[in-house]
Amino acid sequence: MPDEIVATELLTCSYREGRVLEDVSFQVKRGDYVGIVGPNGSGKSTLIKALLGLVTVGKGSAALFGTPLSAFRDWHRVGYLPQSLHLVNPVFPATVHETVSLGLLSLKRFPKRLNRADKDKINTILDELGILDLELKLIGELSGGQLQRVLLARAIVNDPELLVLDEPTAALDPETRGRFYAMIADINRSRGVTVLLVTHDSGAIGEHASKMLYLDKKILFYGSFDEFCCSPEMSSMFGEHSQHLMCHRH
Amino acid sequence: MNLLEILSYGFIQRALLAGTLIALLCSVLGVFLVLRRLSLIGDGLAHVTFGSTAIALALKFYSVMSLLVTMPIVLLASLGILKLTEKGRLSGDAAIGLVSALGISAGIILASVGGGYNVDLLSFLFGNILSIRSEEVVIAALLCLGVMLMLTLYYHELFAISFSDELAKVSGIRTSFINSILVLLTALSVVLAMKLVGIMLISSLLIVPAAAALQLARGFKACILLAALQGCSSVIIGIIISIMSNLPASASIVMVNLLFFAAACLIRRIKYPKYCN
Amino acid sequence: MVFKRCVVASLREKDFGFGMFGTRLREGDLVKILINVVVIIIACSAALFTAGCKKAEVKPEAGLQVVTTLFPLYDFARTIGGDKAQVTMLLPPGVEPHTFEPKPEDMIKISRAGLFVYTSKYMEPWAEKIITGIDSKTLRVVNAGERVSYRAGVRDDDHGLKGEEDREHGHDHGQKGMDPHVWLDFTNAALMVDTILDGFVAADPGNAVLYRHNAETLKKRLVTLDERYRKELSSCTTRKLLHGGHYTFGYLAHRYELEYHALSGISSDSEPSAERMAALVREIRSSGAKFLFAEELLSPRLTETLAQEAGVGVLMLHGAHNLSRDDQARNVTFFDLMERNLEQLRKGLQCRTK
Repeated sequence: MPDEIVATELLTCSYREGRVLEDVSFQVKRGDYVGIVGPNGSGKSTLIKALLGLVTVGKGSAALFGTPLSAFRDWHRVGYLPQSLHLVNPVFPATVHETVSLGLLSLKRFPKRLNRADKDKINTILDELGILDLELKLIGELSGGQLQRVLLARAIVNDPELLVLDEPTAALDPETRGRFYAMIADINRSRGVTVLLVTHDSGAIGEHASKMLYLDKKILFYGSFDEFCCSPEMSSMFGEHSQHLMCHRH
Repeated sequence: MNLLEILSYGFIQRALLAGTLIALLCSVLGVFLVLRRLSLIGDGLAHVTFGSTAIALALKFYSVMSLLVTMPIVLLASLGILKLTEKGRLSGDAAIGLVSALGISAGIILASVGGGYNVDLLSFLFGNILSIRSEEVVIAALLCLGVMLMLTLYYHELFAISFSDELAKVSGIRTSFINSILVLLTALSVVLAMKLVGIMLISSLLIVPAAAALQLARGFKACILLAALQGCSSVIIGIIISIMSNLPASASIVMVNLLFFAAACLIRRIKYPKYCN
Repeated sequence: MVFKRCVVASLREKDFGFGMFGTRLREGDLVKILINVVVIIIACSAALFTAGCKKAEVKPEAGLQVVTTLFPLYDFARTIGGDKAQVTMLLPPGVEPHTFEPKPEDMIKISRAGLFVYTSKYMEPWAEKIITGIDSKTLRVVNAGERVSYRAGVRDDDHGLKGEEDREHGHDHGQKGMDPHVWLDFTNAALMVDTILDGFVAADPGNAVLYRHNAETLKKRLVTLDERYRKELSSCTTRKLLHGGHYTFGYLAHRYELEYHALSGISSDSEPSAERMAALVREIRSSGAKFLFAEELLSPRLTETLAQEAGVGVLMLHGAHNLSRDDQARNVTFFDLMERNLEQLRKGLQCRTK
């Protein structure tokens, strides 16, 4: 099924505290823009990490691009933007250019070398995201919003078909947040990239996402945003007021 | 004392040559180690070398033959440190401390069980940069070549895991493997170079040039080049100072490194005053 | 066995609640912990086994128990004591006195002994600590070097290190300044024999006659040895004793009128500077010597480097403060070592035989 980018089947993950994900099953089609929302500790990050092979799956299975996760090797088709809070060591001496170049490594065979064509790719993506002037700055010298865009550039410089973002706007102010989501939506539309975006901010995501996945250890809702807003079960779960708030933007 | 005259002595020339080669590989390795919070691994593995040398001497494996015993043990220990950080939920420094303590105590116990030696263990263990033999310069050169080759081949992977283990994994990089290469190269360097230049010098060459480079470098490649430059020049300057002022060579080299570090901090303060850290 | 089962059983409960880490153990951790426990057990049993073995070797206590620190004291004491005394040496073979640390077993041995003999606080800095730590009424302590006049290893920048008589016998001139290898001058050794004898007599007056007899024989041998040294070192091609190591042979050189040049000072921790190394190489070249001396039991690296630089061979001299493991197995005596030294000296200084 070339159209199914992500598929999970009864995915279950446990941490030391107990079950974090339980019987999660869903599919993401090409071109979807899925917003993954849910309360704290609902397993959103764990779901992402499980899909990317960063945590071990307890039970069930997952597949990327039709290939089971355990056999998946085409990581150049995936772009990942993790929660940046614990990511960047302010002392780390890399320039923006070098950081973005890391995104190209998945395309390379051993021994990995970067050539002129790669340099051009990097410049193009920096330009596209409006950060070309930051090229030679150290990443420790960037503001939150700038850093986020650099990490985004890193994630998409290799032209992935799937883009996974884990709470990318947690440390940003509302204005920057809005612009960031717009950028993602643009990438989704113009490049046809499938997007999985985990966020706390269920309201803002509604403006751009095509699908919503409401997760609280189990999937409580998965469907289009419209369905979410019209669903009576959702209003009983969140209360009409909250649901109205979330859907108001749409 | 005539500087030129002293420079004509073979042991000084060998010290300069081997010292520079070892400084080169240590300073470059050091950048990756410091960023991965494994800075004291040089010290830790030296303690393990002590313990395994005790075993080797007790079994009557002398001089070069002792490497047959110490090398595998130290290589294993470095992998052990890595495993502890990955699976044992210990941070790098605790893992190093643990393995280091194991090395030293095992060495002491085995030394007393072994019933003594034919040569004093400690004097056998710690090298002196002024007593390097010609064959040992060749060893230093081969070691330097091997380490630099590996670091060049795996440069981008090492850069990636230094930046973020997680992101590296999602780029399809085998992080365990690359990490193993890093610590194995370090273990190899410690065992071979310790005999030549002593542990104080190795440990400081692994840490100080990298630390200074991190103050000033604008870019990862720049960081590595700066560290290498500092390491090599500190050996040359240190030895020359030790000749002219009649001071011990190894300690002089370490002092020069520390002065470089202080200078780097100062320059950083002057050049980038708006950054408080 | 029971211990292990208890450990395993308690770990089976996942809710171990290991306070310090605040985590719950999983099956995988079990294996790791088990391995650790096993390793500790093996290590402990190894230690106990060997300790047990050592205990079995100790003969039933008969006669005066004497504990000595360094080899010359050990050799003299066992000669004096004959079969009326049990003499042991603290220092394990091959170990340098400075790095030695007495184990609990050593402390017990000393507290049970009647006589404890050490050389001086310069040579064995830890000896005084032992003495104050021991709480025994019957233990007599002998400072074997107390009658000896110490010489300082004085640095003379133009000519390397030479020795200098210290007017005040054994007084503290700063710990680093005094050369402690006094026994290499056999007149000093004889003084030490006398001091040790006094200790024996005081601790075991019943066998005083035997002890005195043995001591006399020993001293006569020392005199003979001294004569031989004097004769055989009288006509040598060079009178320069060149040593690529720490200042050890000052007394020997002084006694037989040799000019002693050592690479570095008394303290074995000091690292010689490049200038000193170059100076010694110059000295070797200018003196026309064919050999450079190295000290046994220590790493010969530096000496070999210098010898190679100057194009000369290396000869070993024994400082006699300790024995190698092989020598100990062969029951080598002080006199054996000194004979060895004499041979090496004759070869190195190119002395002619009559």
